[in-house]
Amino acid sequence: MKTGFKKVVALLMAIAMVICFASCGNAGYTKDNTEYVIGFSGPLTGGAAVYGVAVKNAAQMAVDEINAAGGLNGVKFKLVATDDTHDATKVAANYASMFEGGMQVSLGTVTTGPGLEFSKISAEDGIFFLTPSASGDDIPKSGNGFQMCFADGNQGKVAADYVNSTNLTKIGIFYKSDDAYSNGIYKQFKENLNDNIQTVEAVFTGDAQDFSAQISTLKDCTFIFMPIYYQPASVFMTQAKDIIAADAVYYGCDGFDGLAGQFEDFSVIPQEVSMLSHFDSNATEGKAAEFIQKYTDKFGADTLNQFGASAYDCVYAIYNAMKAAIDAGEEIDVTISAADLGEILMASFKGGFSYSGVTGDDITWEDNGYVSKEAVKYTLKQANSAE
Amino acid sequence: MAGLKNIKWKKYVSYVVLAAATVILAVLSFAGALKSSDIYLLEKVAISIMLAVSLSMVVGFLGELSLGHAGFMCIGAYLGGKTAVLLEPVLGEFPTLFVALILGGIIAAVFGIVIGLPALRLRGDYLAIVTLAFGEIVRSVFMNSSDESFGGSLGLDTPRFDKEYLFIIALVLVLGCLVVTQNLIHSKHGRAITSIRDNEIAAKATGINVTKYKLIVFCVSSFFAGVAGVLYSYSNYTVQSANFDYNYSIEILVMVVLGGMGSINGSIIAAALITFLDVKLQTILTGNLAVLQDLFYALILILLVIYNNAPALRGFREKYNISKLFARFKKHNPATVKDDEAKWDRVPTKIKMDEVLSVDVQVTSPYTPDKSPKEEK
Amino acid sequence: MKLIETLINGLSMGSTYAMIALGYTMVYGIAKMLNFAHGDIIMVGGYMIFVTMSATGNPILGLLAAVVFCVILGVAIEKVAYKPLRGASPLAVLITAIGVSYLLQSTAQIIFGTASKMVQVADLGNWNIAGLTIPIYTLVTLGCSMVIMTVLTLFVKYTKTGRAMIAVSEDKGAAQLMGINVNKIIMITFAIGSALAAFAGFFMLMKSPSLTNTLGAMPGIKAFTAAVIGGIGSIPGAMLGGILMGVVEAISLTIPAVAPYTDAIEFIILIIILLVRPTGILGKKRREKV
Repeated sequence: MKTGFKKVVALLMAIAMVICFASCGNAGYTKDNTEYVIGFSGPLTGGAAVYGVAVKNAAQMAVDEINAAGGLNGVKFKLVATDDTHDATKVAANYASMFEGGMQVSLGTVTTGPGLEFSKISAEDGIFFLTPSASGDDIPKSGNGFQMCFADGNQGKVAADYVNSTNLTKIGIFYKSDDAYSNGIYKQFKENLNDNIQTVEAVFTGDAQDFSAQISTLKDCTFIFMPIYYQPASVFMTQAKDIIAADAVYYGCDGFDGLAGQFEDFSVIPQEVSMLSHFDSNATEGKAAEFIQKYTDKFGADTLNQFGASAYDCVYAIYNAMKAAIDAGEEIDVTISAADLGEILMASFKGGFSYSGVTGDDITWEDNGYVSKEAVKYTLKQANSAE
Repeated sequence: MAGLKNIKWKKYVSYVVLAAATVILAVLSFAGALKSSDIYLLEKVAISIMLAVSLSMVVGFLGELSLGHAGFMCIGAYLGGKTAVLLEPVLGEFPTLFVALILGGIIAAVFGIVIGLPALRLRGDYLAIVTLAFGEIVRSVFMNSSDESFGGSLGLDTPRFDKEYLFIIALVLVLGCLVVTQNLIHSKHGRAITSIRDNEIAAKATGINVTKYKLIVFCVSSFFAGVAGVLYSYSNYTVQSANFDYNYSIEILVMVVLGGMGSINGSIIAAALITFLDVKLQTILTGNLAVLQDLFYALILILLVIYNNAPALRGFREKYNISKLFARFKKHNPATVKDDEAKWDRVPTKIKMDEVLSVDVQVTSPYTPDKSPKEEK
Repeated sequence: MKLIETLINGLSMGSTYAMIALGYTMVYGIAKMLNFAHGDIIMVGGYMIFVTMSATGNPILGLLAAVVFCVILGVAIEKVAYKPLRGASPLAVLITAIGVSYLLQSTAQIIFGTASKMVQVADLGNWNIAGLTIPIYTLVTLGCSMVIMTVLTLFVKYTKTGRAMIAVSEDKGAAQLMGINVNKIIMITFAIGSALAAFAGFFMLMKSPSLTNTLGAMPGIKAFTAAVIGGIGSIPGAMLGGILMGVVEAISLTIPAVAPYTDAIEFIILIIILLVRPTGILGKKRREKV
């Protein structure tokens, strides 16, 4: 009996010692860095993986380019991408492992749900993050975060302003009621919509793939606002193509980007498809086209979407800001702690730092972390009848 | 020391290990030797253990399959979180935690009774699907709640408890949960519960109040799931209903099944190991390797289950099992026969209760009284 | 008019559930195991159709390839992951089924990537009658599931293998003593179940041409619910349950106030039905013996 007890004690001592040794050197996780470490948490597997993978690919591409060009004063960058499967409970472990692995600056998370958790955990350490696509209105509220994408509320407001400026009297809304992105846009849209415009609403949840009921509800609308991602949108459009009027307009937000790539021939959809976004993955000129060329050469067109473009810009924006700070006399070296670098970057982003890239020119940030850039209405496709 | 020798250590080993681990980890934490990642892991492990132990009551001891355990946890997490939001400015941190734990647990327990009621009428997989449905209903209701009440699809913002203390509180609560479940299981009530698992009708015939015991088990089990939910809400900044889907319930079930049905110690070990494995796979396999997480997890799961359960491997298991290996290093004293060694199922004459009472005897059983199939016709 | 339209939509959704539920109920009814990997076999079938169609462009060839591949896969899974556990606790098999489900999903992601694939199986168009628009695929799916249901019922009732299946489902031990090769029968059951999954994948793609590695997960659970509502193990019950689920879903989605709660409403109906009829609508009530 007693031997059993001794064994237990011995085992516990051993565990305690292992933990003790493993965690020696608690202070200064960045002191052994030989490269600047950028980390993020995103869905690399599971249902939302296409967005996380796009961010990972594009951010890696930007990092590789910067490194090939000699890095920041000779110091290279390293990207760490952790997988949260769009699940907020996994964020804490991801964040801790990256932070303890020497992460100095972050791209936050790819999606909003995990992002809410991330922004608060990261605020404890004062690390700076610039998220490419976690568009929730609350994401930058922790004070250490900035967004490269439009916040959901702003998108909803701009979309409502657009609808108010037309002479529509009845519109349809199709949104995903259990999704933070879709809901966030929808709420602000409704709030800012003129009272005299009648709305017909249809919702879906989860991974629904059959929209017959929603299409029936919306079939008399000639303008349908769809703040959803492109995958369900493509299914909706395919199923609705002969039921909803051929001259109707589908109007989406940045989630629509990537839609055209879903179809071999987009003209099978007779209706007009437009979106309000900061990036169009069918762009044929400018920086966007350049990015699209580079991305598809490297990773194929499968995962090309605005998430990637935005992530690419995030990495360059951070790089530019760091470079500008060094030029302005700030001391930044490879072992700088996350909090120190965070302070410098936050001051710079709040102090009128401006960046021009794939998703817009002269991008600046408001003090509350929201991005300020031009939202462009892209017509992905004219109505067939108009041609 | 004679008194010490009479204590059945095996029964208490889980307490001792857990209590010692709690003390050591608490000391380490105050000494600042624990990294945040260790602390997050410990919080997760504690929550998983509590969930696995409480589910093991329903699955392992009562013998009912429940696929909705995450639903009870979800109730606890939201109500505990809401309590914390409302009361923390008034009561302060610790009293709020206490109130939240009690409230979250009790409301989850009430729902446990509500779900226990159909359990009286439904059997096996039909009950399983009802519990799964319950979990999804709870999730859907919180998902569509208004922003003011429970935050809707964005989830509820909850105050995070000081991470240096929370895992200690969680481990202490796990101990509490163990005390309650172990005492229940090893009492006469526990024997009544296991007899319901082995044969409900026979149990009824011997005068056991099946209704009462089923409700007690569902109630206690969901109470602790609710408490685990409150701990969850305190260990996160947000509570998002999307996390409590049926996959999470299944993950808890995996812990219980891997740990061995009806073994609380097994559930504890399996819960700790699976949570550890999950977090490590997630944080080690990053970037392009992330796709391998599920692959490894699935392979480990399948191999473990087959190794543990396949009837064909029984001989192999008995030859190379861990306790046998340990036994080699143990001094064996033939004078003391441990009562664990006199298990009923080791005695060859043991006939299972349901076979004694069975009218249609199982043909494959070696203990079947001679009765040819022809006679039945 | 609105009502008829809703009912048609319900049939459209329900026919898919019915198709999947048939596979579930086959495997459950005979092998007595919840095959959580069923939804993922559908997904594999979908990818097989995608591969064949991008090579040949012929949907029928795609369906054939999917059926063949899914049957081989189903039998292989049964041999490797389920058969060693015959005689062990049914829960152990449930866990390996979950493991297989994860395995298939992550393998699909490794091979095909994360982006959804567009697979336009066939554009059958719509049928406009009396102011109603009925998608032809609804009729085709419904018709095919009826045919499959009838064939399965006849097969189980009147063929030697089919009756052996019933015997195995009633009592494995007794069936073995009667000279039935239980392992072979269970293998055949899995083959049939997997073939049905391939069919389900085909019809799902016909309706919504977007293919991802989580294609089968949620419909799988819904279809399982449908199978339970109908009385699991009962072939007409699966059909009935599937249609009922679809109609409930369509009605609920049409009412704006409850539309976000559609999933919850379906599950509430499940609970109510099970409380009234504990073995489902068409399930056989079994006398429990001691």
